[in-house]
Order: sequence, then C-alpha cells, then structure tokens
Amino acid sequence: MTAFETGDRVRVRPADKPGHVRTPEYLKGKTGRVESVLGEFRNPEDLAYGLSGLPERPLYKVGFRQADLWSDYEGPADDYLYADIYEQWLEHDKGGIT
Amino acid sequence: MTGVHDLGGSPGGPVDKSQHEVEDWERLADAITIALDIKGIKTTDEHRRAIESLENYRELGYYERWVAATEKLLVEKGILTREEVDERSAEIENRWGGA
Amino acid sequence: MSHGHPHEEVRHESSPYAARIRAIEVLLLEKGVLTEPEIQDRISYMEARSPANGAKLVARAWVDPAFKERLLSDTKAAAMELGIDASGPVEFVVVENTAKVHNLIVCTLCSCYPRAILGRPPDWYKSFEYRSRAVREPRAVMGEFGFEPPEDVEVVVHDSTADVRYMVLPMRPAGTEDLDEEELAELVTRDDLIGVSVPRYAGSQSAKS
Repeated sequence: MTAFETGDRVRVRPADKPGHVRTPEYLKGKTGRVESVLGEFRNPEDLAYGLSGLPERPLYKVGFRQADLWSDYEGPADDYLYADIYEQWLEHDKGGIT
Repeated sequence: MTGVHDLGGSPGGPVDKSQHEVEDWERLADAITIALDIKGIKTTDEHRRAIESLENYRELGYYERWVAATEKLLVEKGILTREEVDERSAEIENRWGGA
Repeated sequence: MSHGHPHEEVRHESSPYAARIRAIEVLLLEKGVLTEPEIQDRISYMEARSPANGAKLVARAWVDPAFKERLLSDTKAAAMELGIDASGPVEFVVVENTAKVHNLIVCTLCSCYPRAILGRPPDWYKSFEYRSRAVREPRAVMGEFGFEPPEDVEVVVHDSTADVRYMVLPMRPAGTEDLDEEELAELVTRDDLIGVSVPRYAGSQSAKS
C-alpha cells in the first residue's frame, strides 16, 4: 500500500532534517512526477545510526523537468532528471502551476 | 542547511579526466570496508553517515574518506581505539621510512 | 601485489591514510574481527569486475532482443546469465538510450556506482566537479567529454540517491551489422556505460569473412 503511484504529481518536502538523509538539497521544494514505485526498503536515515530502519518505506523514482529545477538551465525544455526518493519526503503537489 | 557532501547543483570547474593508478592501500581500504559490511559489523548507511561527518571532507581523497570513516565507525563500535590505530600507524610508518 | 604485513623497505605512500588502513588491518586480524581470506576475497572480487562486464551485457543486448528485454527488466538475472555475479543488496537497473533519449548517470551525494558489475568508478565520476555539475549542466559536462547530443534528443540524468545502481545501454552504432558479439563489446567503453559518451564505429578497416 503506497501513498503515491506512477503518474502522481509530487513535491519534495522542503524540510530541514539533521543527520544522514538521501534527499538532495537541490530537489527540496521541487515538483515532479512519480515514474515508478521501486519497492520498499528500510530507512537509510535510521540505518545510518545503527537503528533497524523499520518499518520499510516505499521508494519512488521521481522525474523532474530540468527547467523546473534550475532557473538557469541551459538545455531544452524536455531535459529531465530522475532521483530515487523515499515516501516520507514526498507530498501530493497542491499547486496547479506547471 | 545542507551537508558538505550534498553537492548536486553546486558550482564547479571543469571535470578533471585524469586517472590515478589504484594503490594497494586503496584496494585494502575498499576490501576491509566491504568485508566489514558483509559481516554485518557496519552498514553502507553508517559508512556514508561517517563520511559525511568528516570535518575535513573537502580536503580528503575518496579512499582517504573511506579509511577515516571506517576507523570512526570501528572506534564508535568499541572494536578499536584511536590510540591503538595511532600507535600501529606510527610503527608502520617508521618501518616504511627506513629507520 | 601484497596486502600482508608491511615489508622493511622504504615506502613512499601517497597518503598518511595508507599506514592507517594497514594498522586497522593488522588490528582487525589480531582481534579476529576479520580473517586474511575474507579480506583477500574482497580484493579478488573487485579485481574480477570491470567495464568489460558491462560491454558484454550491451553487446548481447544488441544482438539478442529478448535478452535486451530481460536486461532492462531484471538486470541482476540477465547479468547472471552471462556469468556476472551482481547479487547483493543493491538493485541494478539498465536505462536505454534511444534516438530520442540520452541517459547520464551520477551520484551527487557520494559516487554510488554499479561496482558489482563494472568494478571501481573512474576518478572523474567521484570528483566534486562531476557530482556538482552533472545534474545542473549535463550537456556542458558531456561536451567536456567530446559528446554533444542534438537539441532534439532529451538528456535524462539519473541521480542514484538510494540503493538502485544505474548503467546505460547505449545505442548500437551504425555500420556494425557485420561485427560479431565480441567485436561489438570492444566498442563499448566504461564512459559509454555512464553516459558521458557513446560508442563509435569508424567503419571496417579490412574485409572480415
């Protein structure tokens, strides 16, 4: 049972979390689309401190238009970027803009 | 607030395409890190966290970070002490230096 | 190449961490935390892995469409078919270049790479410059490697932020219809598998029959 599915517009939560995270800063607050559900895995943020990392969380391949990530992006509008993001870092995109 | 390792999108110069010969100590660093992982003594996630916490992250080379992180975790887990490693390293360097 | 106890001759190591990891090795062996065979196994494991494995997978995919589908849908299993043991906790995914899409792989956070198939990544892949710029200006970075996809080809960057490792399946170059699988594999470089370049074929030098 995953919170998101392929095709969903999602925003990467612009949260500041100290410690080990695998969500890069350059994606925080950005909106993209779920490309696929990659499976469920133990949480690396907890594993990094010797904790169990349970419960397993869904991991998503999320795609972004490069033009939405960088105001000075030098390439065509169709250029794209994917990153693998854990569910706790995503929320449904509320806005309708782009 | 971003970690020193969180580099995506940072400014940077041209990519240096030169390749250094992998040295024996680097092979060893690689092997020991992974062996410890396979034996469940530490995880890849702990390894990354330890690397990210290195104060001199920017000054160290790739395998130097691996060695520093592996040592940090072994000390954290009470398997080795920093003093032991200091002592042995000094002995080894003396031998290498040709007393 | 030895990884055993240090010898008496003078050594000039490039890093103070060389002595440190030797010290750690000696201590871990003394304390029974690791054994010599366990360490040697890992050294041998990495020595057995190289971009040639990736080239083999690509060449097979080029000549065998059914294998290509298997490579794209279950990379580990497809690798195993060719005798490449890529088992382990991480997932492997092969992303396909087409006439419309060119893929580029990076790990901005730490340099994750499909080591279990391809061996160690090149120094440049691990550099701060590549990790910083590949996501933001992939075309400029590829340009530094001499490769410029046309504007109507979409450049797609994959940032390996979790435990999935990516490898590019490049397009088969034109004019290679008469090459056998081994010859095709020779066209594929490590850089092609990361996506900063594409395989090139200059054309047949002499008749092969």
